[in-house]
Amino acid sequence: MEEQAIIDMPTYNELKELMGADFAVELIDTYNIETGALIEQLGQALTSGDVAVFGRCAHSIKSSSASLGALALSQQARELEMMGKANDLTGAGQKVEKLETDFLLVKQFLEELRNEP
Amino acid sequence: MSRNVTPGHLLVVDDNKVNRLLLGRGLEGQGHRVAFAENGRQALEILHQNEFDLMLLDIQMPEMDGYQVLEKVANDLELRDIPVIVTSALEELDSVVRCIEMGAEDYLIKPINPVLLRARIGAGLEKKRLRNQQRELIRRFATAEVAQDLEESGFTLGGRFIEATAMFSDIRGFTTLAESQSPTDTIELLNTYYTLMFEAISGQGGVVNQMVGDGLMAIFGAPLPLPNHSEQAVRAALEMIEMIELFNQDQEAQGKPAIRIGIGIATGQVIAGYTGTQRRATYTCVGDTVNLAARLEAYTKVAKQPILIDETTRIALSETIKVQDLGPAEIKGKNQEVTIYSVLAG
Repeated sequence: MEEQAIIDMPTYNELKELMGADFAVELIDTYNIETGALIEQLGQALTSGDVAVFGRCAHSIKSSSASLGALALSQQARELEMMGKANDLTGAGQKVEKLETDFLLVKQFLEELRNEP
Repeated sequence: MSRNVTPGHLLVVDDNKVNRLLLGRGLEGQGHRVAFAENGRQALEILHQNEFDLMLLDIQMPEMDGYQVLEKVANDLELRDIPVIVTSALEELDSVVRCIEMGAEDYLIKPINPVLLRARIGAGLEKKRLRNQQRELIRRFATAEVAQDLEESGFTLGGRFIEATAMFSDIRGFTTLAESQSPTDTIELLNTYYTLMFEAISGQGGVVNQMVGDGLMAIFGAPLPLPNHSEQAVRAALEMIEMIELFNQDQEAQGKPAIRIGIGIATGQVIAGYTGTQRRATYTCVGDTVNLAARLEAYTKVAKQPILIDETTRIALSETIKVQDLGPAEIKGKNQEVTIYSVLAG
């Protein structure tokens, strides 16, 4: 897990090439804002024990992270989604924390990519 | 690979903004107009405000999910024809199956592959176009009630056997007539003739499904069942003759030539369904009964009677309609002689 790239460059480059650099910038900004909000919501859902919202937030993070090439983060979100589906959030707290810190790395990496010429 | 997909108006429904942006950009890049909804409830609102050719639908969404949208759409006459493509993750294939069972047309795996996106959208839009065309054809060739009922019951594309009555009609000596007057007069005459015939036929629940030159074919009892299709067809024929007589009075008053028509009617099993190609389809009926009706119409010239019917049609008639037994006759394409009846004007 630790060895997997923060951002899978082939995925990101393909996206940038297909959609254009300007659009990649817009996408990164949106992703960073939206994912931050989703992780916050995820934490709240965990506290209140709302399994449905928890699963849905994890699902959403999984989906958009994969699109941008944040495959490792997407995989973590997938695990959380599965916990939601199984209706068992035991030990989810640690995983959410890990997701939060790893997201910050993704965010930073994407911001660097965003500012590339 | 077809590169020129006809642009359409598409609705993208997804709660994730990154997904909406990605899909929207991809679709706009392919020339489509795109609208967005963040959840199912919003999607339904937007669907009711505008006309859409296709919807891309996410499954897991807050407020109203993809399943609920599919259920609403399936039960909504206005929205039912919009093809729905479900977008989902690869591991959700069981959900996709459920969506397809609920009426979704196709699916796309997220992250979306642009080539697949183009192909699926193209196929979906083509389906929508074909449905619109069928609906338009039915409107043009069927009575308002039949069109409405068909829309409600859905279109059956496959053929099936139906007990129905087929009618053929054409103008006697039309070629000679056309030669004796101006082309404008001929077209005007044909248009008046068709208007009158359509009125008589649809007034009795029949459907005109073919027009060739000065001839037409009509079906009674298909696409939708008609309880007394034989009698209705004969009543329509009598009205057609009556209308032609009125039309002739008008023609004579203007110093224009009168016309005569011949009508052949036969009842029995027909094979009914949509025929044609992907690009052009029409509702039609074929089979022995249809052939016999065409032969009887041709035989009106020999028998010098305006309306000829077969035995099966006669048996189904009520006593108010008077017929004359013309006895057995040799009809082209039939091995055995056929008993023919002439319908007498009431």
